[in-house]
Amino acid sequence: MTEKLLELKNVTMKFGGVTALNEVNLHVNKGEIAALIGPNGAGKTTVFNVVTGVYKPTSGEVNFNAQSLIGRKRYQVTKMGIARTFQNIRLFGESTALENVVTGADVHSKSGVVGAIFGTPRSRREEAAAVERGMELLEFMGLKHRAGQLGKNLPYGDQRRLEIARALATNPQLLLLDEPAAGFNPAEKVALAATIRKIRDAGYTVLLIEHDMSLIMDISDRVAVLDFGQKIADDVPKVVQNDPRVIEAYLGAPADAS
Amino acid sequence: MADKKFRYNLRDHAADYWERSPKWRRVSLSISFIAFFYALPFLNNPLINTPGSDFQSVLFYPVGMYVLMAIGLNIVVGKSGLLDLGYVAFFAIGAYTMAILGTHTSLNFWEILPIGIALAMVSGVLLGTPTLRLRGDYLAIVTLGFGEIVRIVAVNIEAIGGPRGIAGIPTPPDLFKAKFTILDPKPYYWVLLTFTLLIIWMVRRMAARRPGRAWDAIRQDDDVAQLMGVNTLKYKVWAFVLGAAVAGAGGVLYASQILSIVPDQFNLNVSILILACVVFGGIGNLWGVILGAALLAFTPERIRFLSQPRILVFGIALVVMMNLRPDGILPKKKREHFDPNWKTVEESGEGEIK
Amino acid sequence: MDFALLRDAFWGLTFDGLALGAIYALISLGYTLVYGVLRLINFAHSEVFMIGTFSALVASGIMGVKIEDDPRTGWGMVFTLLICLIAAMLASGITAVLVEIIAYRRLRQRGATKLATLISAIGVSISLVELFRIITDSLPREFPRIMDKTFLFSYAGADIRNDKVIVIIAAGLMMFALERFITKSRYGKGIRAVSMDESTSTLMGVNINKVITVTFLAGGMMAGAAAFFYILVYENTSFKVGFFLGISAFTAAVLGGIGNLKGALFGGFVLGILETYTSAVFGTAWKAVISFLILVLVLLIKPTGLFGESIQQARV
Repeated sequence: MTEKLLELKNVTMKFGGVTALNEVNLHVNKGEIAALIGPNGAGKTTVFNVVTGVYKPTSGEVNFNAQSLIGRKRYQVTKMGIARTFQNIRLFGESTALENVVTGADVHSKSGVVGAIFGTPRSRREEAAAVERGMELLEFMGLKHRAGQLGKNLPYGDQRRLEIARALATNPQLLLLDEPAAGFNPAEKVALAATIRKIRDAGYTVLLIEHDMSLIMDISDRVAVLDFGQKIADDVPKVVQNDPRVIEAYLGAPADAS
Repeated sequence: MADKKFRYNLRDHAADYWERSPKWRRVSLSISFIAFFYALPFLNNPLINTPGSDFQSVLFYPVGMYVLMAIGLNIVVGKSGLLDLGYVAFFAIGAYTMAILGTHTSLNFWEILPIGIALAMVSGVLLGTPTLRLRGDYLAIVTLGFGEIVRIVAVNIEAIGGPRGIAGIPTPPDLFKAKFTILDPKPYYWVLLTFTLLIIWMVRRMAARRPGRAWDAIRQDDDVAQLMGVNTLKYKVWAFVLGAAVAGAGGVLYASQILSIVPDQFNLNVSILILACVVFGGIGNLWGVILGAALLAFTPERIRFLSQPRILVFGIALVVMMNLRPDGILPKKKREHFDPNWKTVEESGEGEIK
Repeated sequence: MDFALLRDAFWGLTFDGLALGAIYALISLGYTLVYGVLRLINFAHSEVFMIGTFSALVASGIMGVKIEDDPRTGWGMVFTLLICLIAAMLASGITAVLVEIIAYRRLRQRGATKLATLISAIGVSISLVELFRIITDSLPREFPRIMDKTFLFSYAGADIRNDKVIVIIAAGLMMFALERFITKSRYGKGIRAVSMDESTSTLMGVNINKVITVTFLAGGMMAGAAAFFYILVYENTSFKVGFFLGISAFTAAVLGGIGNLKGALFGGFVLGILETYTSAVFGTAWKAVISFLILVLVLLIKPTGLFGESIQQARV
C-alpha cells in the first residue's frame, strides 16, 4: 500500500477570466519520483505555486501528509516539508553559495535576532549545525569548491544545482523541481538524472516538471500530463507515452512543444 | 582574480590585511582605533577643526549623532532593503520621552533611556506590523507620512508644549568623574561613542548569523525568501524595530544634551539627511555608512558656505549618485573565497571560524 | 470635537469636499498612471503639482493681473483663466517628463533596483522643494483673484460658490478627456498594453520609452490642471504645497486601488469629502493626521484598494 504524501483534489485556479487549472486531481506517493509534463502554459508551474502557497486556489483541496495546505503562509509550507526550485533560476545572487544553502537550513533553527545578538549557546549550536548541513549539501551536489563564491558568479549548471542544494537544505519531505534540466547538454542531463535518483534514494520524494521526455521516461515512477489546465493522463511512463490524448496534446500544438 | 593587479582597491587591500592578521594584531588594531576615537575631542588639528562652531560640539552633534542614526537606518534600508522615509519619528519619540519624563518625573537620564528605547521599539512594531506586509513602495510613503504625523501631533498637543516644545530638560547625573553640563560636550560624545560601538558590535553579530542571512534573502528576493522558509514579516519587523531602538536611544541622549526641544527640529529633512548618509556611504556596508555619515555631517560644518543650500545639494547628490554610482562610495561588495576549505559565512571574511 | 458643525453644515461641507476631491483625483491620476506603467511611485509627482501652482501664478503676472486689482469680467476673465490653466498644465507636463528623464530613465535602462530608483526620485523631489524654498524665501505666495467669487444658489443650507462649481465640472471634463485618450488613442493603447505586460508589449512593437514619456506627460498635465484649480479656489501656494496634497492624492490613489484610473477618481472624491468632514469635527490642524490614518487603515484592511489593482500581482 503506497502512502500519498501530496494530494490535490479538484483544484481550480482562476486568474480573472482565465482558468489556469481546472478541477485537477493529482497525487504524489511517498518515496517516488513523479513527473508533471505538458505543453507550455498548461498550468504546471501553477500547480507548484498552489502547493507552495504562492497562490490560493479558487476551489479544491491541497493536502500534505493528510494536512490541508490551503491558507498557510509560504514559509509555513516550507517548514512542513515542501521545498522547490524555480524555472528561471532565482538564487540570492549577492550571497555566497554557502549562504544560499544555509538560508534554507535556517528553517529548523529556533533562535533568531535575540539569540544572535547575545550569542546564546543555542544560537551558536544552531549556527554551527546549519553551516555544517550547508557544507554537506554543497558536497552532495558537487559544489563544495564553490562555497565562497557569489550565487550570481557561478556557472549556469552550478546555479541550477545550487538551487537544488538550497531546497534540500530545508530538509523537505517533498522536493519540487521546476525544469531542472533546462539548458543542460545531454551529458549534464544524464548526471542530473543520477543526482535525482540519489536524492530519492536518500529518502526524499520528488515531483518534477520537465520538458525532456527521455529524462522523464528514464527516471520517473509516474507521469501526470496537464493540458490547458486539465489533467489528461496519469500513469506509468510507458502507458502515458502511448496515450493518444497525450500525443495529440503535444503534436496538436507543435509551436508550443519545446 | 586575474585582473586584481590592475584594479587595486584599498578596501580589498585592507580586508586582505585584516584576514591574514593573527588574532593579537586584530585585537591591538581594534583597541588603538577605539582609543583614537575616544581621544578625538582632544585632537586640535587645523585640518579638521570647524571654524564658526566648537569642534567638540560638532563631534557630538551632528557628526556622532548622524553616524549612530545612519547605522540604525542601515539595518532597515541597507540590510533588509526597506525604504524608511520617516526615521526621524523614532528619534523624536526618544527625545520627547526624555523631555517629558525628565521634566515631569524624578527619573534621571539612565532610567529614562530604556523607556525611550522601548517606546521607540513599540511604535516600530505598531507601524511596522501592518505596513511591512505591503510592497516596498507603499512602506516608503507610509513612513514618510508617519514622520510628519509625529511632528504634527507634537505641534498640536499643548500638554507637551505644542509648537514651543519643551525646555529645561535635565542633564544626565555624573558618571564616575564625568560631569554632564551644557558647557562640556565631551562626556556626551563619549556616551554616544559607547552606544555606537555597542551597536556596531551587535549589528556585526547579527549580520554574520541567521538574521543577517534572512535580511539578505529578503532584500534580494522577498518571494523566494518566503519559499525558503524565512518568516519575512517577522524579520522585517525586527529590522524596523532595531532601527527604531537605535534612533530612540539617540533621541534620548540628544534631548539631554540640547536641554530644550521643539517639534520643528524633527522634520522630514532629518530623515532625508540620514538616508542620504546611508546611500552616500554605500547602502548595506557598515563602514561605508559610517564614513558617509561622518563626511556628510562634518563637511557643512567645515565649509560653512555649504550649510545654507545643503539640502538642495543633498537632493542633487542623491540623484547624481544613483545615476552614476548607485552603490555609494564604499559599496557593499562581498569578497569571494576560492579556497575549498573556507568555512565562514561572515560577509567580510572575518569573525569566528567554525 | 464639533459634531454640531458637521450636522448643520453637512451639505456645504459635502460640496466643499467634492471640490477638494476633484483636485485630489486629478493629482492621483498621475500616481496611478505612472504606477501602472513602471510599478513605481513617482515621488516627485507632488513637486510636479507644486510647479504647476507657481506657473499659474507667474502666468497671471504676465497677464498683468495684480493682487490689488478688481476681479476681471467677461471674455477677458475667461481668457486669463485659460492662459493660467494652460501654463500650469504645460509647466507640470514638461516637469514630469524631465523628472522621468533625470530620475528614472538611466536607472531603468541599467536595470537598477527599485530602491535606487525610488531614492533617485526622492532626490529630484527634495531638490525641487529646496529650489523653490530658496526662490520664494520660504514664504507663501498669494494668487490674485481673477474671477469674482459669488454664490450661485443655496441648497439645503449649502452655499454653492461659482469657482468650486467650475472646478468640479472642469475636473470632470479633464478626466473624461484622459479616459478617451487612454482608450482611443494610439499612445493610450500603448499605455494600457505596457501596464498589462511590459515584455509582451515590447514584442508587439510598442516603443516603451515613448509610452513612458507620454504617461508622465499625461499625469503631469493632470497635476498641472489640479494645480490651477487649487490656486483658483485657495488663492495661495508655497514650496510646501506639494507635500500634503501629494500624500492625500497618493492616499486617494491607494484608496481606489493604485494603477486603476476609475479607482483614482473615486478615491479622490471620497478622500476629499472625508477630509472636509473630519476637519470640521476635529479642526484643520488634524487633517493630515486623519488622511494618514485613513491610508494606514485602507492598507491594513484592503491592500489592493476598494476597486482592486488593475494589475495582476507579480507571479513567482
